[in-house]
Amino acid sequence: MNDFMNFVILGLTRGSMYALIALGYTLVYGVLQLINFAHSEVFMSGAFGSYLVIQSVVTDGSSPPWFAVVGIIVLGLGSGAITGAAVAWSLERVAYRPLRRRGAPKLAFLISAIGASFFLSQLAGKLFNRLNNNSFPTYFNLNKHVIDIGGVTVSLVQLIIIVSALLMMLFLDLLVSKTKLGRSIRGVAEDAPTAALMGIDIDKTISRTFVIGGALGGAAGFLFGTAFFFSNTMGFIPSVKAFAAAVLGGIGNIRGAMLGGLLLGMIEAIVPTFPWYKPGFIGTAWTDVVAFVVLVLVLIVRPSGILGERLGRAA
Amino acid sequence: MTAVTSTAPEPTATNPEVVYDVKDVTLRFGGVTSLNKVSLQMHRGEILAVIGPNGAGKTSLFNSLTGVYTPQEGSIMLAARKGDELTSILHDPRFYGARKSTATHLINRHGVARTFQNIRLFPALTALENIKVGVETRQKSGPVSAMLGMPWQRREERESTERAYELLRFVGLTARANDLAGALAYGEQRRLEIARALGTEPGVILLDEPAAGTNPAEKRELAELIRRINVEDNVSVLLIEHDMKLVMSIAHRLVVLNFGEKIAEGKPADIQRNPAVIAAYLGTTNDEPEAATTAQPEPNTTDLDSGPAAEGDES
Amino acid sequence: MRNSGLFNDHVKRLLGCLAGGVVLALMVGNQEGVQRDFGYAFRAAIFSPRLVVFLGFGLALFVAITYWSRISPYFVRPGARPLAAGAAAVVASYGLLHWTDSNQVTGGKLGALSSAVSGTDGISSFTRTFFGSVVPGTPWLLLVVVVALGVVSLVLRLPVLAWLAAGLGLLVGVWGYIAQSAVSDYLKTADHSTGAQVAILGYAAIASGCFVIARSQTDQADTVGFIERVFGWRPGFPLAVLGTAVGLVALLTATWFSPADRNPHLSGMTNLFSGEGLSAISSAYLSWLVWVIFVVALALAFAATYLSRQAFSWASIVIGLGAVVLTLTTMHEFSSIGGKSGFDGANGPWQNIGAGPWMLCGAFTMFAGAGWIALRQGRRVDPAAPTVVAKAGSNLNQVLIIVVLAGALFYPPTATQFWQTVIVAEIGIYVLLAIGLNVVVGWAGLLDLGFIAFYAIGSYTTAYLTGTLPIKPPDWLHLTPLAAIPFAIVICLLAGLALGAPTLRLRGDYLAIVTLGFGEIIRIVAVNADKVTNGPKGAFGIPQPVIHLGPIHIQWGQSALQFWYLLLVLIGVTVLLFNRLEHSRLGRAWAAIREDEVAAQATGINTTRVKLLAFAIGASTSGVAGVFFASQIGYINPDNFLLNNSILVVAYVVFGGMGSLPGAIAGAATLTWLPEFLKDQVPAEDRQMWIGAVILLMMIFRPAGLIPAKRRAAELSGFDGVKSAETVAVPAGEGM
Repeated sequence: MNDFMNFVILGLTRGSMYALIALGYTLVYGVLQLINFAHSEVFMSGAFGSYLVIQSVVTDGSSPPWFAVVGIIVLGLGSGAITGAAVAWSLERVAYRPLRRRGAPKLAFLISAIGASFFLSQLAGKLFNRLNNNSFPTYFNLNKHVIDIGGVTVSLVQLIIIVSALLMMLFLDLLVSKTKLGRSIRGVAEDAPTAALMGIDIDKTISRTFVIGGALGGAAGFLFGTAFFFSNTMGFIPSVKAFAAAVLGGIGNIRGAMLGGLLLGMIEAIVPTFPWYKPGFIGTAWTDVVAFVVLVLVLIVRPSGILGERLGRAA
Repeated sequence: MTAVTSTAPEPTATNPEVVYDVKDVTLRFGGVTSLNKVSLQMHRGEILAVIGPNGAGKTSLFNSLTGVYTPQEGSIMLAARKGDELTSILHDPRFYGARKSTATHLINRHGVARTFQNIRLFPALTALENIKVGVETRQKSGPVSAMLGMPWQRREERESTERAYELLRFVGLTARANDLAGALAYGEQRRLEIARALGTEPGVILLDEPAAGTNPAEKRELAELIRRINVEDNVSVLLIEHDMKLVMSIAHRLVVLNFGEKIAEGKPADIQRNPAVIAAYLGTTNDEPEAATTAQPEPNTTDLDSGPAAEGDES
Repeated sequence: MRNSGLFNDHVKRLLGCLAGGVVLALMVGNQEGVQRDFGYAFRAAIFSPRLVVFLGFGLALFVAITYWSRISPYFVRPGARPLAAGAAAVVASYGLLHWTDSNQVTGGKLGALSSAVSGTDGISSFTRTFFGSVVPGTPWLLLVVVVALGVVSLVLRLPVLAWLAAGLGLLVGVWGYIAQSAVSDYLKTADHSTGAQVAILGYAAIASGCFVIARSQTDQADTVGFIERVFGWRPGFPLAVLGTAVGLVALLTATWFSPADRNPHLSGMTNLFSGEGLSAISSAYLSWLVWVIFVVALALAFAATYLSRQAFSWASIVIGLGAVVLTLTTMHEFSSIGGKSGFDGANGPWQNIGAGPWMLCGAFTMFAGAGWIALRQGRRVDPAAPTVVAKAGSNLNQVLIIVVLAGALFYPPTATQFWQTVIVAEIGIYVLLAIGLNVVVGWAGLLDLGFIAFYAIGSYTTAYLTGTLPIKPPDWLHLTPLAAIPFAIVICLLAGLALGAPTLRLRGDYLAIVTLGFGEIIRIVAVNADKVTNGPKGAFGIPQPVIHLGPIHIQWGQSALQFWYLLLVLIGVTVLLFNRLEHSRLGRAWAAIREDEVAAQATGINTTRVKLLAFAIGASTSGVAGVFFASQIGYINPDNFLLNNSILVVAYVVFGGMGSLPGAIAGAATLTWLPEFLKDQVPAEDRQMWIGAVILLMMIFRPAGLIPAKRRAAELSGFDGVKSAETVAVPAGEGM
């Protein structure tokens, strides 16, 4: 049982990162009805951007006091978010807006995003490096058990990820449901032409949607890099998963993305705990198979995801 | 203006065959009741018009008749072509698609063709090809014979081209055969859609506001076309139309819907004098009260029309 | 107010252009840093004086965009576009292409060759002057002079200058070509370089542009009308002209046989082979017969196209194809004799043959093709002919088809070993995959991101049937790879149905993620199911194809070329079948569901069935590619079937032009050729970055793809002009 709970914690950790990335997909899908395939590189650039900042304020192996650690983490989240937002914004300007102006077919957007994704990940590789095991400087003990209740343990890094992800999601939820920007995002998602007639600047709203999604993705990049590693190709696999999570919850639906992300993380973590799961015979890679099978089953029962796909309605 | 005043000859049979037998159909969306215990019978060879103010449930009725919606209560029996037996389209495996619910394409194959309120052509195919798509749903040859260019496939191809040209001539679009459907003028698109529907060799054709957005000259042409479809092709016509002059001039019988309920049924002359109908129009189309008041005395100058202006923004 | 808005726009544009300059600086900057010093390349690119140059590029771009309205009227004048295209071609040839294959010249590009040649005394001064022995950078200088003359004559409308530019351009082109062949004669190595050819073509384009400038004084070029007039005047005639040019180059200047230290032209062949036991017909061919045949074929082609008499057409086809066969037998004979009699480095049949005879084969094919076009023209009254194909372009299309066919047949043998392998293992296979995916994505409009799974299934099916997997087939099912093709088709068909049946009612993006998942599942199964698929190690020793059919006995495997011709047959058959399919009732049904699924259903189309068919047909094409891949490469493992490849195939299809067969072929060929081409131009690790940039730019500036489908193009323009759609709707009824 304790084992199981530990896996739940692990699932929550992964899931909250998936959810943060999935939000980027879902927000863009909400306003443009397009999969932003280059979102993986937004995530990646968040890791590199925050690295440059963190590296300059803290040395590897130092152990600053706890409030400094908190400050550095906030700084990392912030710089990751800013980098991510900047990349997402430029992405919209370069890879999406010209195509929108030309009324290109939907797949053209997909392909321009794929081109941008190749470009960004390889440019990062060229500018930084192409190793696949970069890590942030260590400035606190990641694996320190901060909570330990009868064998159920939560490490510090897990706590940081879960808490900051939840905070950001809460923030986003409030942003979308309460602010003027949120209203215009929902308006554009619901019916862009009508929103335009109501005086909402569609271009600006789309741009800002990218920025918000990019900020969340960039912050997720920082968290991912802190917990594991980062590289110029780190974006691909988590993003595919996050995309699946967004679809699972109902793409275009903000709460759906959160739910889908957490659920997918959970599935991945829990599958190996099943009694019939024999790691000796089949590797952990089967978790992906299980995750996708679950996705397909959910979609067959509910063709537009668990919560349905309306950004406006659910948020 | 008086060219269309004469009423079309009625089908002569004293005991008319039934094409559609609709009994107590109720259709709900969530809490909204879109159709409430609607019953009607359509006879072979007649032009039956369904009229009613906006939101009266006319298009819902059409969609129920063609299997797009499945009503919660009531029964719909169909015998579209001469010699068919009356069969329920709601609970008969012959009309089931892969999903065990009534499939629209099967209804079409049993002889019911339709057009849409907001024209739905295949804009990137030529006019000729649009009709061929309809004609070819009745053909047999498969992909392999198409790839190998088998003689029977070539014969079918030739037949469909010939039939499509016949239909183009029938609706007066021969000159536009090789133009893309999306490039045709509005009225031409309307006629092309009718021709595509006729290509599927229907026993019944359902026309959803065919005159919406057309000018008076086109309306006269259209009335003539509908009459020819009815007489020359022996196709029963079910018509939704707002243009009262058109309806009164060509329909044999009328059914009036209001708030999802049938409030009247009968010959054009009777309907025009029916107080319930007049009340319905007075009560709902408050923007054009004078249209309804003039409806009372003189049947042939009546204009219950809620007007092309009102239609224009719908389509 | 208005002014400040304009000012704002300008500032934004300037910032954008400068940012573009910075990005470009990063792209061509230093390579990556180390693990502990990330910022190295970044700093090197940003904080070096070099950046100023790139900011200058940005500024130039800004100026060009801002004043585009002043420049563009000149650009649409007659002759401007050929001039620009020609200049671009020459620049590419000078800057990017190889001018020699000799390993004495590092890199083999013009710059390296120039410095090598101008310092070599054994070469004539005529040649050395071109390469810059007198004035350094002569080729570039000449190009600038010619283009400047052309531009000045265009702007100021000076016919005299235009004539001068045209003449000079031709002279320079020919000079460069002769100089390059003199150098490769001197170097005595087999030469596969394309630089000089592209340069002379570029100069020809410049010259024709200048010619047009001199002749035409209108303000607006009528390019489409011009092409229509040229290709519609006598259908097939341009092909005959092209064939003549190619044939003359083959007969006069191309190498015919290339063992070490010997590179005879046609004129040297008789000498080389005298007394070596060449058969009478071959030696006659090499000394005089070839000329006779060439002249006859040429005359027939011109007669057929000019007079459009059926008899001439047939004669032209027969003579053209006969000449190809005769040339091939002669090639076979002299190359075998060359091998036997021990010329240095001659390796036997079909080896060491120069470009000449292959080009001549291409020329004869073009003559035959010209006859074929003339013949078709004579009896084109087919009421059921596909109506979407515009009549104007079809003559041009036919010419292009023949040229592409001739190129596909006779270009690969003249390429280097490296390129032959690329053509087969990369270009050819991905072309086949793209053709298959085009059915699903382009025609039926279903986004499939797991297409590579069917390719994997085809490959593993082949491995199973040839007994190279841990599980063995029963004895009676032990097959050769070619016999595995039908099985692979059937299995992929079933897999396509199995995937499609439960998922096809999902809408676009949901379908995308499910297919993506399917692709990953197949790969993960291949990695993990050790006992069936041999896990990550994959299958080894998959035999190469053989055909034993009575007296016919073909064994593949010695060279990539053999596989190329096998692949060409597969691609050709697929294209032929799919082309029919596109214009059949199923093709139209696909277009219908793509355009409007609700209407398609109401028209009686069984959408589920039609979509399933698209899936199944696409999947089986992929399966065929899988069989070919497995038997060609001989070993497969799960790494051949990554998700990335699925995405790439989608990119090929869209890049080429969704829903268009030639587009899918061109897209796959371009994007698989590009990385290999870039090997010479940029650091190997950067290639993907440049490809990403190319894809991005293509989608920004030409979202419909390289060769847009007629149907799709219509859709796009309709989409674009919402306003124009309304103006059509308003004056309703005036159409008839």
